[in-house]
Order: sequence, then C-alpha cells, then structure tokens
Amino acid sequence: MHIMEGFLPFKHAVGWTIAAVPFVAGGLLAIKKRIRDKPEQRMLLGVAAAFAFVLSALKLPSVTGSCSHPTGTGLGALLFGPVAMAPIGAVVLLFQALLLAHGGLTTLGANIFSMAVVGPFAAAGIFRLARSLKASFAVSVFLAASLADLSTYVTTSLQLAWAFPDPTGGFVTSFAKFAGIFAITQIPLAISEGFLTVLIFNALARFNPQELQELKLLPADKARA
Amino acid sequence: MLIEQAAYANRWRPVSPAAKGLFAANALIAAFAASTPSTAAIIAAVLMTVTVLGAGIALLSYLRVSAPALLFLALGCLSLAFSIDVGNGGPVLQLAPTGWHKLAEVGARSLGALAALLFLILTTPLIDLIALLRRLKTPELLLEIMVLCYRMLFVFSVAIDETLTAQSARLGYASPRLAMRSLGELAANLTLQVWQRAHALHVAAQARNNDGPLRFIEPVFPHARRDCCIAALAGSSLIALALVLR
Repeated sequence: MHIMEGFLPFKHAVGWTIAAVPFVAGGLLAIKKRIRDKPEQRMLLGVAAAFAFVLSALKLPSVTGSCSHPTGTGLGALLFGPVAMAPIGAVVLLFQALLLAHGGLTTLGANIFSMAVVGPFAAAGIFRLARSLKASFAVSVFLAASLADLSTYVTTSLQLAWAFPDPTGGFVTSFAKFAGIFAITQIPLAISEGFLTVLIFNALARFNPQELQELKLLPADKARA
Repeated sequence: MLIEQAAYANRWRPVSPAAKGLFAANALIAAFAASTPSTAAIIAAVLMTVTVLGAGIALLSYLRVSAPALLFLALGCLSLAFSIDVGNGGPVLQLAPTGWHKLAEVGARSLGALAALLFLILTTPLIDLIALLRRLKTPELLLEIMVLCYRMLFVFSVAIDETLTAQSARLGYASPRLAMRSLGELAANLTLQVWQRAHALHVAAQARNNDGPLRFIEPVFPHARRDCCIAALAGSSLIALALVLR
C-alpha cells in the first residue's frame, strides 16, 4: 500500500526519509560483505529486485472475490533475509514510482520504512518465532507472509494518522479511520498472500528442495524430491 | 509499460535528463511551497499542460497513468474530510470541523507533486534517470542493483506473460482456487529462475573479465548546459508563482 506523491506534509516526508536511510545503508554494507565472501551473489540481488517488481504486478485473487497485487515482502524476507530486503525494497519502490507512478519520490522514505523495513523484519521474526514454537513449515510461512503484509498496512496507517491526526479524536481516532478504510482491501490481501507464499514454498520444496536447504529454511530431512 | 513508452517517444527525449530532473525538483518545491490550495492547483495545471502540450504526451495516456494515484488521493482525502465522534454513545461519522479546508490543502498539494513526478517520468526513460543518479554520486552498489533490475524486469515480464498464456490455455485460471494454485506454481518457477539467471549473468560477466561495476555507454546530450539554464529559469518561475499567488 503506497502513500502517493505529495500526500505527506514536508516535515513527515523528510523525517521518514531520514528514518529509512540507516536501514538501506546498513543493508548495502551487509550486501557488500556478502559479495566479498561470495562474489557470485553480486548478480543475485539485482535479479531478485526485478523478481520482486514483477511479482508485485501479478493480479492476486482475493478472498472477497476481487483482485489485488501481492507485496512480496514476506517471500523476499524469507528468501534473501530482512537486512538485504531494505536496499532491494528501496529499488523496487523507486522503480514503482518511476515506472508505474505508484508511490512517489517525496513519500519514498515512508514507503521504504513500511514495506522494505517493517514488513521484512516482521516476516523474518514471525517465521523464526513460529518455527521455535514447533509450528509446521507451511503454517510458519503463512503466518510470516500474511502478518508481514498486515504489519506494512498497519505501519502505513500509523504514518498517515501521525501526519493527519483527527481534529476531534486525535491520533487514535485518525488511526482507526485510516486502518478501517484500508482494512477492506488489506486483510483479504494478507490472507491471499499468505496462501500464495505457502504454495510457492510447497512448489519449491517439492521440485527444488536444495535451494531452500541452502537458504537454511528447510531441514535436509524435509526434502521430498 | 505506458510510462516507459511515453518516456522514449515524447518530444523532449533529446533534452538533458539533468534539466528535466532540475525542473521536476523545482516543481515539487513549488507544490509544497504553494500558500493556498488554489495556487497548488494552478501549479498542477501548469505542469500538466507543459507535459501534454510541451512534451507531446497523449492526454489519455496521462490520465491512465495518473488514475491509480488519483484513486488513493480520493480515498485519503475522504478520510481527512470526515471525523469519527465517539462522545455520544456509539461512534458517529461526521464532517470534520476543518475537513474541507484540509481536503483542499492536501488534495491540491498532492496533485501538484503528482504532476511534477509525472512530468519527470513521462519525459525521461528510467535508464537516463539511473545515469543521472550516477552523476549525483549514488552508491555504486545501489546503482548496480538498479541497472540489473531494470534489464531483468523485462526478461521476467516476458516469462510471466508466456507462463500465464500457457496456464490459461490449460484452464489454469478457470476458478479462484485453480488461479491461486497456478499463480503459486508460476511464482515458484520464477523464484527458481532468480538463482539460475543470476548464475548465468555471473558466468557471462566473469567470461568478459568483469571486475566490479557494470558500466554502459551513456547517451550524450549536446545542449545540456542550455537545457539546464532553461529548466532553472522555468523552475524558479514556478516557485515564484507559488510564493506570489495568494
């Protein structure tokens, strides 16, 4: 869910950009280190960004019967790690602004913070927590993907509520208003994206389990192919 | 992609990307600096006219590109206009005391900023913008991700189109349940291609003695200095208009 160009007041746009920069810079440093150790990974991140971009353009059947677009936040965080997702997400969001006019340049920082920082870290954290609580692989992936999606939508609602507090009810009422409006599309989308991500990992585990083992997402004894 | 097609085919394609970037940056400042909603709306109208009449972008394409953003703007502005009153028993939706004023202020500013963004992206191909970012000293690694992403997204788009056609021909999207399953298989297949294509690119780069940044020949803009002067003049006029009009 992108905040459009110019929607945030100037101070908020600058503030969210400053908040997002350390995560993108930290991600770039981590990627640099990773490339030093494994030079063959240099191409991987650019290709991964293209993958995330085209994935976000796919039409996803929603449980309400309508269609929407997956964010790919959870999938990306599980495949490439939450730290690498900040620069990858930044590039994807910049491209969405420049090639599709979704989002914007002044709101790029706010969008990076919700979709490339909060979402991926939430996905990675929820996946680890679910696995440590002995949840099955499929349930862990579903929870990670759908709750990551929800966390980005809650963050965007918080950003909007902070920028535009309700004149009578203040921040809380404004948050309830924005979250209520966007919940109509975002909750069904989160559930659909959770199912889709499970189907993707099922197909990967069935036909190409070695990739998941290399990413340390699937134990060696779970390989079925 | 409608935006990319317009960016390559418009009248101002030979104009320096630095000049177009400078004008768009000034236009963004003007949209934010506008003292009244009507001033911001005038700036949006000026920018739209410049893009459509100056650069020769078809009005229909312009409206189609801006439609999703305008939908978000309509939703966002509606939520600003109304307020929830929880004081008298249950929650009641009512017009906020400063609702219309806030709606006009945010709506007009967003329209101005959106028009500035559309001016830039409809007149400048992304590859020129990446070259501009390189000159502005953006980190090399980020640029590398951008260059690879730009080149690979067309490859993936073709792969998606072909897979969707093949799946649809086999009734893969006949029901929501089948659609979800087909989409899962499509995305899983694409996920695997990420590693396969990255490995193939790495081997190709190694075979050409690539030792670091990916560099491409950048187009030359012979009138860049003149273009930048005109853009600076036009941009500062927009800012002046934003500050003077009340």
